[in-house]
Amino acid sequence: MTSLKKSPLHERHVALGAKFAEFGGWEMPLEYGGVVAEHTAVRTSVGVFDVSHLGKATVTGPGAAAYVNSCLTNDLGKIGPGQAQYTLCCAEDGGVVDDLIAYLHADDDVFLIPNAANTAEVVRRLAEQAPDGVVVTNTHDDYAILAVQGTHSDDVVAAIGLPTGHDYMAFAVADHDGTPVVVCRTGYTGERGYELVVPNAAAVAVFDALLAAGEQYGIVPAGLGARDTLRTEMGYPLHGQDISPEITPVQARSGWAVGWKKPHFWGDAALRAEKEAGPARILRGLRAVGRGIPRPHMTVAGAEGTPLGEVTSGTFSPTLKKGIALALLDAAVVEGDQVTVDIRGRQEAFEVVKPPFVTVNVRQS
Amino acid sequence: MYPEDLKYTAEHEWVKAGEEGPVRVGITDFAQDALGDIVYVQLPEVGAAVRAGDACGELESTKSVSDLFAPVNGTVTAVNEALADQPDLVNTDPYGEGWLLDIRVDDEDEVAALMDADTYKGQLDQS
Repeated sequence: MTSLKKSPLHERHVALGAKFAEFGGWEMPLEYGGVVAEHTAVRTSVGVFDVSHLGKATVTGPGAAAYVNSCLTNDLGKIGPGQAQYTLCCAEDGGVVDDLIAYLHADDDVFLIPNAANTAEVVRRLAEQAPDGVVVTNTHDDYAILAVQGTHSDDVVAAIGLPTGHDYMAFAVADHDGTPVVVCRTGYTGERGYELVVPNAAAVAVFDALLAAGEQYGIVPAGLGARDTLRTEMGYPLHGQDISPEITPVQARSGWAVGWKKPHFWGDAALRAEKEAGPARILRGLRAVGRGIPRPHMTVAGAEGTPLGEVTSGTFSPTLKKGIALALLDAAVVEGDQVTVDIRGRQEAFEVVKPPFVTVNVRQS
Repeated sequence: MYPEDLKYTAEHEWVKAGEEGPVRVGITDFAQDALGDIVYVQLPEVGAAVRAGDACGELESTKSVSDLFAPVNGTVTAVNEALADQPDLVNTDPYGEGWLLDIRVDDEDEVAALMDADTYKGQLDQS
């Protein structure tokens, strides 16, 4: 077994009393003071996540952006330099190899943030077909990524001298004690917030500065446990669960991240055909009527016990104080339907709802 | 962390024997910390017969679910109703307000045979 990679902030997490877990080959903080408290801090004030396990890659050279746009699903032509975009890397059959954020620095310079476990594969696919002059480089281990999330995120980021207030999904490159830091208005929590891409050497200094600046707002370091409950409350898909090589964006209702008017992207023929015919199964939200807490792979059934599909992500919602899930269900199921989830032999009642499960604050100005 | 007046099981539960009558059962500080924030507790019905080592309920945290194993053979005489609304009592006060259930044991010797605090701590140190 290969040893797990560690964040440049690992020693800080140890000192903060973190419990660790493996995420995509990295040993990362799962929680510090408890998932619910960290979740609540992000929803009500501010928290900082170390998400350095996320991948990083560059695509550079003449025509780099055009090349990326011919591969990944979303239309990079809709944004300009200084903006980022959620996009998907699909296989030819329409399955999702990965979902990622593309930062458009310039027509010849695109920065990608794939998931930890999929970075090597995304880089391999992009490098394999890259035209002459376009270079794809895996920079996975060169940067830390810190996500500052919550209503007070602007106060905290501004207090350490970094730019704030830019539009949702816009980014700025700023100087922090001589180190260039990318500050993007994005996140995975549903709250207003920023993700900072920091060269490794400056990671500890930036992390310490954020915690110190956030003290007056009750900032907490938040682990990937809270990140999962926060994103599930928003209905944001997680690759490997809600989208995967077996689950297409058409099924996962991620068609908004597909540039349908583009002439070509990986998987376009299969996805266009599926969209035209209508998907056989659709990712829906489930909210518990009672106290049951759904978990991935539990069976969802209709009134007469007819199997309708299965849970892809499920957890306890700290905000709603009840079970919530994303579930891949027969396309005939619609919002408002009552279904049951088989929770270890108990048939628990759930209502089919449209995510998000909580109020969205991500675009608030 | 591990009160001397309690008995312990390998499944990280504690048992407190009263003067007479039923024993009280909960999970240890080690167990509540390992589980993380407990958000739902499923307990057996009052009156149910439980068998030592068998699952008789569930403790669910934000991330996972764990079985609750009966530490002894007996009959459930009470369950902690407060946990329905405040499951986090198991985290904040595992030996007090976060107790789980009371069991009238079939054979008092079963309780006496459980680990004492020092033995339990020794087992934790080895793991």
